[in-house]
Amino acid sequence: MKTPILSVTKVNKHFGGLAAVISVSFDVQTGAVLGLMGPNGAGKSTLLNIISGEYKPDSGTVHFQGHDITGLPPHKICHLGIARTFQIPQPFVNLTVLQNLQVAAECGRNLGKAATEREALEILDIVDFLEKKNMFTRDLTALTLKRLELARALASEPALLLLDEVAAGLNEEDQF
Amino acid sequence: MSLSVDLATPIAMGILLGGLYSIIALGLSLVFGVVKEINIAHGDLVILGSYFGYVAMTVIGMDPILSLIIGIPIFFGIGFAIQKYLLNRAFRISMDATLIIAFGISIILQSTYQLVWTPLSRGLTTAYALESFSAGPIHVPLVYLLDLIVAIAVMFFLREFLRRTYLGMAIRAAAQDWKAAQLMGINTNRIYAFTFGIATALAAVAGVFLGLTFPFTPVSGMSFLIIALGVVVLGGLGSIAGTLVAGMAFGLAQTLGGYFFGVAAQMLAAYTMVLVVLAVIPRGIFGR
Amino acid sequence: MKSAISRLRGGLTPFITVTVVLVLFPVIGVPRLWLLYLFLFFIYLALANMWNLLAAYSGLISLCPAAFIGLAGYTMAILTWFGWPYYIGIILGSIAAALFAVLISVPVFRMKGIYFAIGTLVVPEILRYVFTLWAPVGKPVYGGGAGYMVKNVSEVSQAEIYWLALAVGIASVLLMRYILRSKLGSGLAAIRDNDITAASTGVNVFNLKLYSFVISAFVTGMAGAIFYTFQGYIEPVSAFSVRWLIIIMLATVIGGEGTEEGPIVGTIIVVFLYFLLARYAEISLIIQGIILVSIMLLAPQGIMGFIRKTRIYHSLVRGGF
Repeated sequence: MKTPILSVTKVNKHFGGLAAVISVSFDVQTGAVLGLMGPNGAGKSTLLNIISGEYKPDSGTVHFQGHDITGLPPHKICHLGIARTFQIPQPFVNLTVLQNLQVAAECGRNLGKAATEREALEILDIVDFLEKKNMFTRDLTALTLKRLELARALASEPALLLLDEVAAGLNEEDQF
Repeated sequence: MSLSVDLATPIAMGILLGGLYSIIALGLSLVFGVVKEINIAHGDLVILGSYFGYVAMTVIGMDPILSLIIGIPIFFGIGFAIQKYLLNRAFRISMDATLIIAFGISIILQSTYQLVWTPLSRGLTTAYALESFSAGPIHVPLVYLLDLIVAIAVMFFLREFLRRTYLGMAIRAAAQDWKAAQLMGINTNRIYAFTFGIATALAAVAGVFLGLTFPFTPVSGMSFLIIALGVVVLGGLGSIAGTLVAGMAFGLAQTLGGYFFGVAAQMLAAYTMVLVVLAVIPRGIFGR
Repeated sequence: MKSAISRLRGGLTPFITVTVVLVLFPVIGVPRLWLLYLFLFFIYLALANMWNLLAAYSGLISLCPAAFIGLAGYTMAILTWFGWPYYIGIILGSIAAALFAVLISVPVFRMKGIYFAIGTLVVPEILRYVFTLWAPVGKPVYGGGAGYMVKNVSEVSQAEIYWLALAVGIASVLLMRYILRSKLGSGLAAIRDNDITAASTGVNVFNLKLYSFVISAFVTGMAGAIFYTFQGYIEPVSAFSVRWLIIIMLATVIGGEGTEEGPIVGTIIVVFLYFLLARYAEISLIIQGIILVSIMLLAPQGIMGFIRKTRIYHSLVRGGF
């Protein structure tokens, strides 16, 4: 039985009187895809925020690749290999599409300048976005912004990808 | 035994001084709560009120409190114009722009005062401003008591205004959710201008009573702005009663600081408290 | 080292030429008035660049540059009373400013957005009170601390002071260029736009803000200490005065926040204004305030921001600056 890449154990989170996440536990194996489904307000985004470090759980633990990452700040979690997208796309508005990815590649992976450009272009190619590379994000449509979110998350070369999407109320967690 | 008796006066003075600080902070709080901007020129607008009272006293020979009858509408107009022509436009540019523009206004006001009235310190030295009264072991200047009474009266009127008039309710609506307010047909830009106008009128009142209580100079605005900021943050946005209590807290910090550490240190005590309040109070209602 | 040099390239030749000419100015007998204005220019340039680093690139509107200027100045002045040479005083003053920045970052970085600006507003005022009351050396002047003469600087030539200012001004330009092309710069650009997303892409937001705050404090302090070496005396009201802030804001805003050339252009204009309005002390401040408000309303991106949009700039710049 291999160690699961992600292990969430009895995580709880309250906001004042509102219980957003109540004793949630699950494992995700390397290479697997896990979908979290639930109605709006069920706490899916909150759970993702806990895993990616934006929130600290009130109790419970999160283990990633065997290490305890509960309560670590988001940038450390990114360095460890988890990337995420946001439900409402949050691009860097004063940067071009290419630069958005470069930041992720540079800060998430610690690459030098030349390498980040190469990597960013490669990812843009994968996501089929190359022709937009020099556009400013404020000139993009909402749907393309979502693609940008994904590309940016990929740019930090994560081992675990958290996707938080509103479209069709479906959430997925991918890994590769 | 004598320590507690000695302490009684600074404590009483601190509480009464709180009245003055809360009126000064009231306009700031109103603008911050409704328009969501921190008007760092507010202190200088208060001092404008002080100079207005001064002019009324020395040039026309009118009692400064009486002069507020003309003063309040004038200041309302000034505030309305500032918001409508300057700050509303700044809003559309960015949040930083409003800060920078408010700063620019502050500089213009301060240097105008220096030019017109010289850096000499002035005071509204009416006959009653020099009176003091005693109640048991406590010995305080009369104006301090006046400050508190006026503060409570003004707050009462403000609260009733916000509750019962159409404009007041529109202001509260815009404060809570300006988008929804717009959808209800409220012209939020106009509301902001009205709010700023009211806040500036409040500054006039604060300024006159400030002038009766303390001497002031062209650069005094900054000192009182800082304390007002502390009061606003400590008192909690949207809470008129909170502003009063917070004002008293700062008044006490000042008088007790002066009592224990010497007169020169009293502003230092108040400022340190401002810094502590800003650092400790959870990151603003409008923070992310 | 190679990568550092490659980061600085671009327009290097004209830059070096201009620098060499400026360095030679005192030697070739340029009028003293010119040196004075150039001195001010370089001091203000360093201050503007550092403010720009915080405001435009880190998203921190800092209202406390005067705190670092005054603190470094006082450190330098007080050290001269103990017999230390002024140039050691300048270095130690800059370090003192940087350490102070670390100290106040503890409360001040807990404040978000507008609260940060307010917090920084309070700091110079507190220092002003402290230095008005505190007299660490010499006999207390009436009222406590008040001012200090800077000792042992009367023999220092105008040329030396000029070169010091030149050094800190040029250094600030190079520093900005280096930072902006570095990882710190990318991180700061991300933070400015969206600090939550930045964190999720691996940017250590708190650390980067702290680094730029401390770097800015250090250079700002250095410029301040050099200024007070020149002026020969320091007193609390003007050292911690809000006038520093308006000059800095004006220079940055006129020139164009968020651009490298902006502070240079803006500072030129501010010094020119200073020259023009030197006789009209109080009106000059009013005018500066009016200009600040007007520029923010009418041309918030400043001169460089405006120029960047025109095609002339694009054709000039294709060679690469």
